[in-house]
Amino acid sequence: MTRLTVNERPVEFAMDPRTPLLWALRDAANLTGTKYGCGVGDCGACTVLVDGAALRSCLITLAECEGRFVVTIEGLSRDRSHPVQQAMVAEQAIQCGFCTPGIVMSAAALLSANASPSDAEIRAAIPNLCRCGVYPRLLRAVHRAAALTRREDTIDAAPAPGIAPQAAARAVPALTPPSSLTSSGETP
Amino acid sequence: MALTRRGVLVGALAGGGLVLGFALRPRSYPAPLAPREGEYAFDAWLRIGTDGVVTVAVPQVEMGQGVTTLIPQVVAHELGADWRQVAVEPAPPSARYANLALAAKWAPLWMPLAPSLADEADDLLTRRWAEHGRFNVTADGTSLDAYEAPARAAAACARAMLAQAAAARWGAAWEACDAQGGFILHEGRRLAFGQLAQEASRFSPPATPPLRPNPVAERPGEFPPGAPLRHPRLDLPSKVDGSWTFAGDVRLPGMVYAAIRHAPIGLSASVAGMEEDAAKGTRGFLRTVTGDDWVAAVALDSWSAEQALARIAPRFMVAAGVGSDAIDAAMDEGLRTLDAHRLRQEGDSAIVTGGMPIQLRYEVAPAVHATIETASAVARLRDGRLELWVGTQAPEATREAAARALGIGVRDVVLYPMAIGGSFDRRLEFGQAVEAAVIAKAVGRPVQLTWARREELRAGLPRAPVVAVMGARLDTEGGIAGWRARIAVPATAREFGRRLFDHDLPQEAISAVAGKADAMALEGAAPPYAIPHLAIDHVPVRIDLPTARMRGNAHGWTAFFNESFVDELAHRSGREPLSYRMAMLGKDPRLAECLQRVAALSQWGGGADASGQGIACHVVGEGRIAVVASARRDAEGVRVDRLSAVADIGRIVNLDIARQQVEGGLVFGLGLALGCAVRYEDGRPDSEGIGGMGLPTLADCPEIEVEFIESKADPADPGELGVAAVAPAVANALFSATGLRLRRLPFFGEDL
Repeated sequence: MTRLTVNERPVEFAMDPRTPLLWALRDAANLTGTKYGCGVGDCGACTVLVDGAALRSCLITLAECEGRFVVTIEGLSRDRSHPVQQAMVAEQAIQCGFCTPGIVMSAAALLSANASPSDAEIRAAIPNLCRCGVYPRLLRAVHRAAALTRREDTIDAAPAPGIAPQAAARAVPALTPPSSLTSSGETP
Repeated sequence: MALTRRGVLVGALAGGGLVLGFALRPRSYPAPLAPREGEYAFDAWLRIGTDGVVTVAVPQVEMGQGVTTLIPQVVAHELGADWRQVAVEPAPPSARYANLALAAKWAPLWMPLAPSLADEADDLLTRRWAEHGRFNVTADGTSLDAYEAPARAAAACARAMLAQAAAARWGAAWEACDAQGGFILHEGRRLAFGQLAQEASRFSPPATPPLRPNPVAERPGEFPPGAPLRHPRLDLPSKVDGSWTFAGDVRLPGMVYAAIRHAPIGLSASVAGMEEDAAKGTRGFLRTVTGDDWVAAVALDSWSAEQALARIAPRFMVAAGVGSDAIDAAMDEGLRTLDAHRLRQEGDSAIVTGGMPIQLRYEVAPAVHATIETASAVARLRDGRLELWVGTQAPEATREAAARALGIGVRDVVLYPMAIGGSFDRRLEFGQAVEAAVIAKAVGRPVQLTWARREELRAGLPRAPVVAVMGARLDTEGGIAGWRARIAVPATAREFGRRLFDHDLPQEAISAVAGKADAMALEGAAPPYAIPHLAIDHVPVRIDLPTARMRGNAHGWTAFFNESFVDELAHRSGREPLSYRMAMLGKDPRLAECLQRVAALSQWGGGADASGQGIACHVVGEGRIAVVASARRDAEGVRVDRLSAVADIGRIVNLDIARQQVEGGLVFGLGLALGCAVRYEDGRPDSEGIGGMGLPTLADCPEIEVEFIESKADPADPGELGVAAVAPAVANALFSATGLRLRRLPFFGEDL
């Protein structure tokens, strides 16, 4: 049994300790935001933070994660408020979204160590493969995320999930808060 | 597309609210979405709840191209909704959502004997066929062409009914009401859609949808650099926190995981044996399942399934595994000796017959899609009913194939459309769904099947190899008097059509189309230039390697041949490559404008004096693009520093999505120019990982700038333009930089 901390929760995995972290996260913990793309470290889609460092979770075994702190895309923020998440959405540096979680984790690790990265440092820190071709926007997105990290900018491009209908109605006049519904309250 | 022979259906939601369906006649088709209590039984294009949420059904699969935003945007504009009140849901296969535009375009594939009877979306035969087959394939850039008109009509009717409800309350004329920001407005009064939805559902939709005078359009001039997005993509927030689910992310109670190995590609491939006992004791291993040409292991997690499979070590037999040496030889032999089908001829045939004064040969190697998501599917069989969670561009064909494999009826297969992690037409093939269904039946539990990367490369079919001899005769000024393209390529589009529409196995499809002319395999071969004497010849070579569609399709090679060749002719004539092209573009002023604009954008210097600049242009359907590449050769090989592109895609629904598509197309095309190639031996590719394929990375991605021409023409798809034009632009740039003319895709393998 391997014990580690995943997204701030202590977890014990009843799996073969040789299982790469990727499959423990996906198939046992149901944290499916971390993607399988190659299994050998080529694509970066499975990148997570292990003790703050961006690692490819297909290349590290559960046993090697014993006692360590793992953060996946689901745990990066509760409400999409991480600067990289906001900047990626704001710059629309996302297409199909399959490589996105890995890219976000790579960029988040970079910014936690360096809030003013150069172009060259960003290029070196994000080796992730993206076949849709969002690269032209990635540098821009990471620079914007860096500015957010330094509190020189604000973005609210990606709304928090699960906004209460009342709160949504306050922000969007066209939405009607549930309290004023005339029907049984069941809505499509 | 015209709105004839269609009608809008309307109804009420259980909790109050308005539903509009856009129905094809006859109206007897069953509803694709099960109605809730009190809801009328028909398909919904859009629903308006009493809470004000407008939900739009999207019958095309999202694979990054942005259709999940585009169709809702069409609805929101026509309806007068606030973008923040718009929600979206994927729609399952249904006759209601037949893609008539693609059915017409693909008539040569489903009705090869008389395609002209069905090559218009309004042809009766097209409609009957597409509705009967629930044909809502997502491909070939047809989403807006097929669905903008019906989505718009439904929204216009909804707006009219909401206005009628508001007007009744106010005692006003409904025609005098306006709709904006989610409200019906009249002389300073306003009512929200949600407040009106229930009353609106009691009105009848107008006989003719009262369309707004102008369709949705984002004009390039309205969006200077840094301008805010007017319609941000609806799918991105959930893509940035891991909650957007692909087929491989589906989790069901009691679900188990399968790993698979496939036989080599070739004739009579079958399973020869395995060491089944070797997997006993593998933690979590449950059992094996064997198909005709694959073996799967099932376990409690994917990794254990893969470990078990490695121990089992399945062995396969193949009568003739495909090999690249044999393919190359067949292509070469075919090009030199086979009779060609003349697909197009203009002017005097004598001028383009026999040997031409200038003849140059170009080659394209088989290339793989290399999607980051590998094939995956989840299947659950309960009480004779199969449920499939799968990302597929051809959902109804996927249902049919799974039904055939299990011996059940198509109506007993429920397909949940899942998003795709980059397809590039790879997910027009859907074998993994059939495999998952067979495994689920054998195991008696819900099963998730995810192909390992190795299997994606082994069993995914590549883009076809192509060899062309381009011939020209110049006039006294160096202009092009005669042009002949002799293009040797398997009848790859028709081969794909046999697999999709006739259920052929890959080798059966090869036999069925051998020697046949395939105009779709040569799309884009006729250059946009005014050339008096022209011939386009197809040499349909038979090779043993099954071939598939890929983003760009034939344009991926015809643009390379044409634009490399015309560049070579310009240089031979001592003419400047841009003006050489411009002189021949009298009949296509839109393409000429793209070229002029890209010259300004890139500070085009004529491409001479080893500047490293190369130019190319191409037309895909009604879309046009011109690209200038700046490239050089350094110690590490070829380096492309900058790509400048100007596209004319007519009216633009969403400018930033269009920009994403062109940028992404350029990067994808760059990948095809510099890598993505595989060679085969004994039915296996020489690469089983994507690490050494030369795929573009952030570190080597050129600076890219894209501009659009302002236009009111019908929208054209931006997705394939960049893919087509980038390879010749880079080849021409490298000629400028190095003096070497690269005539083979990918460029690697030639002496740089």
